[in-house]
Amino acid sequence: MSQDRPAAPRPRLVVVGSGMAATRLVEELVARRAVATSSTSGGLDVTVLGDEHAPPYNRILLSAVLEGTHRPEALTLRSEEWYAEHGVDLRLGARVLGVDRERRDVMLVDGTLVEYDTLVLATGSIPSLPPIRGLVRMDGSLHEAVHAFRSLADCERLLAALPGSRRAVVVGGGLLGLQVARALGVRGIQTEVVEGAEHLLHQQISAPAGRILTRDLKKLGVAVYTGARAVRLVERTDGSDGPALRLDNGFTLDTDLVVLTAGGRPSTALARGAGLEVRRGIVVDDRLASVTDPSVHALGDCAEHDGRTTGFVPPAWEQAGILAANLSTRLCDESVRYDGTRVVARLRASDLDVAVLGDARAELDAGGEVVEVANPIAGSHRRIVVRDGRIVAATLVGDLSRVGLITQHFDRRTVLGPHEPGELLLPERTGDAGNGAGPWSLPDDAEVCACAGVTAGRIRACSSLEQVRDDTRATTGCGGCASTVRQLLSRRTDTAELATAQKGT
Amino acid sequence: MARMDATRTHCPYCSLQCGMAISRVATGSAARRVAIEIGPWAEFPVNEGALCRKGWTAGGLRGSRERLTSPMVRDRATGELRTASWDEALDLVARRIAVLQAAHGNDAVAVFGGGGLTNEKAYQLGRFARVALGTSQIDYNGRWCMSSAASAGNQAFGVDRGLPFPLADVEQADVVVLVGSNLAETMPPAARHLDRLRERGGKVVVIDPRLTPTGERADLLLQPVPGTDLALALGVLHLLDAQGAVDEEYVARRTTGFDDVRRAAAAWWPERVERTTGIATDELHALVALLASADKVMVLTARGAEQHAQGTATVLGWIDVALALGMPGKEYAGYGCLTGQGNGQGGREHGQKADQLPGYRMIDDPAARAHVAQVWGVAPESLPGKGRSAYELLDALGQDGGPKALLVHASNIVVSAPNATHVTRRLEALDLLVVCDIVMSETAALADVVLPVTQWAEETGTMTNLEGRVILRQRAVTPPEGVRSDLDVIAGLAERLGSPIPFSTDPEEIFAELGRASAGGKADYSGISYERIVEEQGVFWPCPAAPAGESPHPGTPRMFADSFATPDGRARFVVPEYVGPAEEPDPSYPLHLTTGRVLSQYQSGAQTRRIRDLPDEGAFVEMHPMLAERIGAHDGRPVVVRTRRGELKAPARIVTTIRPDTVFVPFHWVGANRLTNDALDPSSRMPEFKVCAAAVLV
Repeated sequence: MSQDRPAAPRPRLVVVGSGMAATRLVEELVARRAVATSSTSGGLDVTVLGDEHAPPYNRILLSAVLEGTHRPEALTLRSEEWYAEHGVDLRLGARVLGVDRERRDVMLVDGTLVEYDTLVLATGSIPSLPPIRGLVRMDGSLHEAVHAFRSLADCERLLAALPGSRRAVVVGGGLLGLQVARALGVRGIQTEVVEGAEHLLHQQISAPAGRILTRDLKKLGVAVYTGARAVRLVERTDGSDGPALRLDNGFTLDTDLVVLTAGGRPSTALARGAGLEVRRGIVVDDRLASVTDPSVHALGDCAEHDGRTTGFVPPAWEQAGILAANLSTRLCDESVRYDGTRVVARLRASDLDVAVLGDARAELDAGGEVVEVANPIAGSHRRIVVRDGRIVAATLVGDLSRVGLITQHFDRRTVLGPHEPGELLLPERTGDAGNGAGPWSLPDDAEVCACAGVTAGRIRACSSLEQVRDDTRATTGCGGCASTVRQLLSRRTDTAELATAQKGT
Repeated sequence: MARMDATRTHCPYCSLQCGMAISRVATGSAARRVAIEIGPWAEFPVNEGALCRKGWTAGGLRGSRERLTSPMVRDRATGELRTASWDEALDLVARRIAVLQAAHGNDAVAVFGGGGLTNEKAYQLGRFARVALGTSQIDYNGRWCMSSAASAGNQAFGVDRGLPFPLADVEQADVVVLVGSNLAETMPPAARHLDRLRERGGKVVVIDPRLTPTGERADLLLQPVPGTDLALALGVLHLLDAQGAVDEEYVARRTTGFDDVRRAAAAWWPERVERTTGIATDELHALVALLASADKVMVLTARGAEQHAQGTATVLGWIDVALALGMPGKEYAGYGCLTGQGNGQGGREHGQKADQLPGYRMIDDPAARAHVAQVWGVAPESLPGKGRSAYELLDALGQDGGPKALLVHASNIVVSAPNATHVTRRLEALDLLVVCDIVMSETAALADVVLPVTQWAEETGTMTNLEGRVILRQRAVTPPEGVRSDLDVIAGLAERLGSPIPFSTDPEEIFAELGRASAGGKADYSGISYERIVEEQGVFWPCPAAPAGESPHPGTPRMFADSFATPDGRARFVVPEYVGPAEEPDPSYPLHLTTGRVLSQYQSGAQTRRIRDLPDEGAFVEMHPMLAERIGAHDGRPVVVRTRRGELKAPARIVTTIRPDTVFVPFHWVGANRLTNDALDPSSRMPEFKVCAAAVLV
């Protein structure tokens, strides 16, 4: 602890990172009026240090920007003015070099020191570089045809490279890889996906479901190589410009672009450097405080709680809410605890229908039972994992009907009846399935006009629309029964005519 | 049967206020036996002669044996109600009010009004409370109706008028989005305008957890989880902005605050909306495609969107959608609220609301107080300040610092209040409960004094329908002997209480004063007269009095063409933060319960349940077959719905038209509101009638 520093008038909170977790944390603090402003006396002095230059944006929509279905300007989550208005010191392009926990400050790349009382690390994750020779040049920079896809800058760089490109290889057949591949396909780029595992989305879905997805992608013009690793980026052998990617199955794919989506890992370098306990991520307790130093917190992709890291927004946001509650009620004994989150992952790409709820594999190991409807011919594979009557995981590929309801049951841990999981996977029941015969088949006691409470029998007893109106008031309310009434009347006429005709013969 | 002259008037029920012609029919030789026959008034543009079965049978209470025709007071010895003379009853009420006020202060006496009162009665009631009683404690059941839309309209547009255009404009729109409205059952003749829109090729979108007869008319039906309409609106805004479908020119020229809304919506991508609302991303995309491609979009909300602890925010979210599309102020487009009660609109404009004075003036605005005090002939400082909102008022009854006496006009609180068991206990804790009604409603049955009042067709007065059209209900028949108008009750009590100003009982005279009191306010009626209403088939407010020598103001059928009623003339985008329902399902209460209406009943059913020709099937519990199978329920057999507040037993009605995670109970009978949640909207003080957590047991 430093002794000669003047006493801070207000506790200083420094947030390293300005991604989705950090932004949510600040929003939650603002909503709780926990941020000191010029007009308030209490609260925290909040500084946000973001290494990117763009104001905080919605990262998960980058593939939609790439696909062209989302304007890049509409990604921004909070403007710089918003931070200023709410008394938050937002510094963009402020990369942090190191944390000194003794002095309680962080040093920026330009040498600036920022002091804290409480530090929050929301450093996110960094894309992993797959072991492909030739990706990185001698000087340490990426080959010019190689793209990561993590930040807005990555997305912009890839978009800028599209006009001169005909072909692309996406390395990685996970959710992000498929979104990027589909986006490039929509942009008219001949795209191929290379996935080392035996099927696509192997961490989330079963092999048969993966095969359906492969076929869907092929229909959309995206080729898929599974069970194949890219091993080397080389020059093309036919003398044309551009690189080629050599796979371990002997194929060599000529390409103009290589996009790396083969996962990421928690960004923990700062935490390590500061001597905090780091395993896969920065290890935090139920209050999201570092197990090494209670004045340092971590949340989002960089944090490891209960042996798990996540790569999704909802858990990061849930953590942000909990951390904000704890930071804004520091003095209270009561604190909110984080006990993990249920994850729902949806593939965001046109014409590819995938939803992954929970961790099917882990739930199967824990004794979950599978209810499954697969139709490889129609291209759908839907699996629900049930434990103690509850949907604990689900993978839906190629058919998302009832995804909303299935997700509700999953999130709310609804205890279902024994037939429900199966029924959720079958076509929806409709009310009067057998009622396509037309109104003349209505029994006499069936209500035709709800407004006036008139039955088919009473309509049949009338000889004209005028009589219907005057005697029964049918058709004189909302008017919705007019066509049924007309048909009932015309049928009556037909029958009468028929009867007359028969009499005549 | 001899038909006498027909009187052109309006239906006693909902905010459509359908035009109808009432004839008196002699039903026997005795001159006194006169029944009412209801016929169409084809020229009135809102309904063009159409009526629903409630309207056609509205004459059924006339001559009903259940009609109250004598004041009743509770006998101290027996605890039973016995008949009394008007003088005895009014003397008793005035005396006990005086005693309570002397002991506990003026606020010991509270007044509870209703959205079914005529403008004249609503105005007199507010005047009576503030001047004769000197109490701040007055509010009304309209809080439970459209108050969230009112609050949102005031914030966004600077004024609250249900529809800022005539209802028939619906026919000329390209897309109409109905958020939480079942107008085909709650106001059936309105559905004709939707049908004509569709004949023209226009599209209808219905957003409702149930597929209703309104939903059957929809080109696109979305059935979200109850209480998540705001998340859906944010999802629509998200995609509109993502696709560049925002009318940037309009937003820049006519609004403020869009940037913050745009940023907030950036966090509501379709998959997040799907997880929250249960609406699949495909459906959301379909809705946005429809909205983005249309020239004229109309967004209409009703109770389904509004009766939530986040009702105001939900309406603001949908107003934001309309504003982002550039619709409000454009012909045949914009945002509107489908008001519920007959005079839901007028009832909130003339001073029976805890925070308002006539003309939609705010009671804490010194200029407003000065103006109204001058019209009333009292000192501005004598007017009390802001009182408690409806539910808070009821919650305080008989408590320390709360009112000891309550006068109820046009409201059946026992049936219509949320958390009704608790509210009933509060009513029972009063020293004095006075109820004015036409029948022995569930609330009247608890009263110490019941005063029988005139009903529609027996009295004259104006109403303001959902379009802001001021219309005239004309007296068509003589009231039964023994009943008096609420206006007589007010005047009689005021006189006995020694009011410093007199209270008229002549509706037309009161309307003229109401006009002067409203002059210069947002809801300015000063240029409207009974004569003009009759000649013009209603007059739309604002309609200020024209200075002498100038031609009269034509009224305002369409608002916002050039500017909004805000100080700078621009509409305000307000950022609505989605919080979700106050009570989420949990293992003990795993389902969503939502409440609503059926076609053949109106509100608490005090009138319609007593009309022989209307089916009165009682409450039922609507559920999906998947849920029924889960719990072992059978169609028509009783089930018990339980919430943290109460229980209801009613037959199951098994339908495929409702979400499988939701049950529905109509609220016209005692029971449904024993279940509902009294969590209140922070700005409108609307209770959360439309969603709470429930369990259903066989």
